Amino acid sequence: MAVIEKTDIVQAQSPAREALRAFRQSWAGVLGIIILLAVALFTYVGPFFYPVDPFEIVWAPLTAPWETSVAPLGTDYLGRDILAGLIHGGSATLFVGLAAGFITITIGILVGAFAGFFRGAVDEFLMRITEFFQVLPALLFAMVLVTLFTPTIYVVSFAIGIVSWPTTARLTRAEFFRIRSLEYVNAARSVGSKNGRIMWRVILPNALAPLIVSATLTIGIAILFEAGLSFLGLGDPNVFSWGLMIGAGREYILDAWWSVTFPGFMIFLTVLSFSLVGDGLNDAFNPKLRER
Amino acid sequence: MKKFGIMVAAAAVIVAAGSSATVQAEEGKSGGTLVIGSTQKARHLNPAVQSGIATAVPGTQIFATPLRFDANWKPQPYLAESWSVSDDGKSITLNLRKNAKFHDGKPITSEDVAFSLQTVKDNHPFKSMFAPVTGVDTPDAHTAVINFDKPHPAAFLAMSSALLPIIPKHVYGDGQDAKTHPANSAPVGSGPFKFSEFKPGEYIILEKNPDYFIEDRPYLDKIIIKNYKDPTSLALAVDKGEVTMYPFLATTKDIARLKKSDHLVVTDKGYEAVGPVNWLEFNTTNQYLKDKRVRQAIAYAIDRNFIVNALHGGQSKAATGPIVPGSPFYAADAEKYELDLDKANALLDEAGFPRGDNDMRFKLKIDYIPNAAELQKGVAEYLKPQLKKVGIDVELRAAPDFPTWAKRVGGHDFDMSMDIVFNWGDPVIGVHRTYLCDNIKKGVIWSNTQSYCNKEVDALLAEAGSELDQSKRIALYNKAQEIIVDDAPITYINLLPYHTAYSKDVGNPPLTIWGTMAPMDEVFLK
Amino acid sequence: MNMVMMVARRLLHAFLLILAVLVLNFLLIHLAPGDPADVIAGEMGGATEEMMADIRKTYGLDKPIYVQLGVYLGRALQGDLGQSFFYNAPVLDLVLGRAGATILLVTTALLFAIFVGTLLGVLASHKPKGIVSGLVTLVSVIGYSAPIFWTGLMLVILFAWVYPIFPISNMFDITKDTGFFGYILDVLHHLVLPALTLGIVYLAQYARLTRASMLEILSSDYIRTARAKGVSEIKVYRHHALRNAILPVVTIAGLQFGSVVSGAVLVETVFSWPGLGTLAFDSILARDYPTVLGILFFSSVLVILANLITDLVYRLVDPRIRTGG
Repeated sequence: MAVIEKTDIVQAQSPAREALRAFRQSWAGVLGIIILLAVALFTYVGPFFYPVDPFEIVWAPLTAPWETSVAPLGTDYLGRDILAGLIHGGSATLFVGLAAGFITITIGILVGAFAGFFRGAVDEFLMRITEFFQVLPALLFAMVLVTLFTPTIYVVSFAIGIVSWPTTARLTRAEFFRIRSLEYVNAARSVGSKNGRIMWRVILPNALAPLIVSATLTIGIAILFEAGLSFLGLGDPNVFSWGLMIGAGREYILDAWWSVTFPGFMIFLTVLSFSLVGDGLNDAFNPKLRER
Repeated sequence: MKKFGIMVAAAAVIVAAGSSATVQAEEGKSGGTLVIGSTQKARHLNPAVQSGIATAVPGTQIFATPLRFDANWKPQPYLAESWSVSDDGKSITLNLRKNAKFHDGKPITSEDVAFSLQTVKDNHPFKSMFAPVTGVDTPDAHTAVINFDKPHPAAFLAMSSALLPIIPKHVYGDGQDAKTHPANSAPVGSGPFKFSEFKPGEYIILEKNPDYFIEDRPYLDKIIIKNYKDPTSLALAVDKGEVTMYPFLATTKDIARLKKSDHLVVTDKGYEAVGPVNWLEFNTTNQYLKDKRVRQAIAYAIDRNFIVNALHGGQSKAATGPIVPGSPFYAADAEKYELDLDKANALLDEAGFPRGDNDMRFKLKIDYIPNAAELQKGVAEYLKPQLKKVGIDVELRAAPDFPTWAKRVGGHDFDMSMDIVFNWGDPVIGVHRTYLCDNIKKGVIWSNTQSYCNKEVDALLAEAGSELDQSKRIALYNKAQEIIVDDAPITYINLLPYHTAYSKDVGNPPLTIWGTMAPMDEVFLK
Repeated sequence: MNMVMMVARRLLHAFLLILAVLVLNFLLIHLAPGDPADVIAGEMGGATEEMMADIRKTYGLDKPIYVQLGVYLGRALQGDLGQSFFYNAPVLDLVLGRAGATILLVTTALLFAIFVGTLLGVLASHKPKGIVSGLVTLVSVIGYSAPIFWTGLMLVILFAWVYPIFPISNMFDITKDTGFFGYILDVLHHLVLPALTLGIVYLAQYARLTRASMLEILSSDYIRTARAKGVSEIKVYRHHALRNAILPVVTIAGLQFGSVVSGAVLVETVFSWPGLGTLAFDSILARDYPTVLGILFFSSVLVILANLITDLVYRLVDPRIRTGG
């Protein structure tokens, strides 16, 4: 099948297949998927192969990596196994990243869709709210929220989600506004479709491309956000996460660089994979702008 | 019959005709800036209305107290050049120096002493310090007579360090609440150093008081107290020479590392009066912890050696009772609760808590002060696997910040909690509050949050608190400690490994029992 | 005239927004679980029931919430943001005392990111498949994906400890008495690592953005015409391409101000930079609500200002808007 130049007239199936092909040809996207899968394996399958409790004190504190087989990547300031921390810390980090990402995307799409579709007073009102959340520095507000209520991973996810949605909302709004005046939307309206149906069945699927790309970035940002909160000591202290490890190891950084470097590297890899996937998707949906 | 204790007798009448009653020996030279590093942020600079180290260190430079103490628990003249105690022990007469002036030039009189004592009594959280005071008479400008309703030997220590700063009546007597008085951030003081600048959370700059009442002192031109975010950066700073002195150094890795330095001295002297204890306190109203055997079992299950040597790298020392070993009142013979898992298990069985599913007897929540990793969180986290060995399922409950923790424990909403509590010199000041029946006050942190009540202990403490004879006091406190340790409302873990790291260039380092919470007018730079 | 009207409308808009920020945050903080009186009592070392009642009266905490809000707003309009629970000082003084340090850090980091980022982006667009381009991708990917505090810590280890070129923390050395110029130099010396850390994240974005924009523009008709007319490469870059490419970067930078302030909190914590970030962190932990409110208020003002300025600059610089409607 010949490659079709992406135009504004969008149909149902083939662009998806086209996108998939373009994605597979993008080295960024493929690399991203590979890394992401590796991280997921490490996090979710790892515990079965290495069932050491990250909270358990296994050896002398601040042991260097590769010094003892009991703790191959060394121990932290209490004598806990760093490798165990890495393996078990991933699930909390990923959970918060995905949960916060989900909240962000949901609120963002809802707000943006209504604003972009209905315009007028609805738009004005929703935009004021969006502005309010955009003006508050996200981390500061999240810190306040987390300390006002007890910092469990649910509260943390919620706090991150609630300060991050404005960007998604704006993007969605722009897309909805652009698409709503197109031919096929008018066509749907003339057939008598209700607003709801038009919004969710007609417009949204066509706005999906940039939203999906944005979603991958959002998740990456949420993960960094969680790491930041844990680093500051405001994360859930009963749950092991990579950010928590960095925060705990920070005071011992000169004696035990590994307790900070390894978890940081894991966060980096995870966020990187999401960024790369986002890149790949971007290429897939916009082949014109591919610069490889 | 006169019954004067050693402390009082030694201090009866000492002449201080304008020359310094030196507590150190070296001959100093003038000049220089001493930079002290701290991780504690001072809220303001008036210790009369605020307890704690952060206010005490600058506060004791800015404000003078009637007495000061040397390295051997002996009181020395300071603002009071001499003093005497009445025969019945119910009043202390202070004879103040005649040449002492506040930093704004006005003379320091007995009116200021009376005013300061009343301010401390009304505002300072340590109620037991001056509770027996009924009033202060001021027969003349340089004589103050403090009257008590019973003998109060703790008064001497309470009149030193940061506990009774003499504040100017003409500044604070304007009707504003002393706790929020604007002068607290820019004080007019009475001590060797004047206030120069205070940037909250960043630094405090103090300058030499040229009209200090001890001639040729202080030696230093300036003292700067610099705030650091965490112990690591502060340790680095003192190693690099950015900071001249790092008191209250407690992180064991840094202690070990700084000890290796060839231009620093690292000492554990200077903390005898502070008496800092790291302990695990039990809420005796809890269904499991109300049985003494359960508490004792937990005490036997804790391996203090591991904590001291493995967790703290050998830098701290085990604590065994309410009073620290450095104090004259320490009871060396009380039960030490050496590690004995069998005994612990036996006691728990005896108390009627057999092992159930997954080998556990019951569950307990443990709280701890946040941001004190090695001492609090580390030990709490260690207790989880350790107490599992005797069948107690420990759940850690972290507080996001200090006020949350304080509210939980103060509100008796806890099972057991790690805590750090200071002796503050005389047991009356810092120790009684933890064990007295009438100090079970819901809502107040560092009161008797354990709801512990033993009438015999109460009687002993009350008697010891008003006994002027030192040896009798010691005997009374020994007995009290034995009972308390046996009742185990608290199990004591370790003494905080407070050290001071300072440059070899510092002469006459502040190493009296109060350490840096005492005037540094004798300190100089070589 | 139109411009003035627009600015006036925007200012009114901004004022209402700031009001909303104050009101909603005030309500949030006061209606959430936790009693400020507990905090104050805790700070003083403990308090009895009578002392607590006393504290409540002193700080006006015994009045109903809407009265407290009214009092707060009334005072805020006069420039009184209340008294800090923790420090014995007016919130306004505390905030203003720290604001300068944060503004310095954030502005330096952004300027660094914008200039070096666009430069790198331009260089990369020159040879899209070359080494520079690859390097730019690499650096931007790392800068963007690594947690900012981790990057900061790594920089501290490398350049302040292993090779002690830069100071480990703080903004300047209080113990040095070097006069005004010495002070400025000292601050700049301390500024390097924190600004670098904060800037890297945004540099990454701007480099990629610039490269993408440049590539798009360079293949546009407009540029092809200029090249055909014989305009030199350098001129093509400078006069035509660059000017159009830097616009989106500047716009985004201005709109990202809120995020940069957030990032500054983490960087300030790593480097003990005495700015609003460290003050916020301390105040939030100490539950010093008046100060927290003051900081939220002030940073919102900063963000709104940045947005306003960016908008104005955009309208002034963008030729399409200037000539068009």
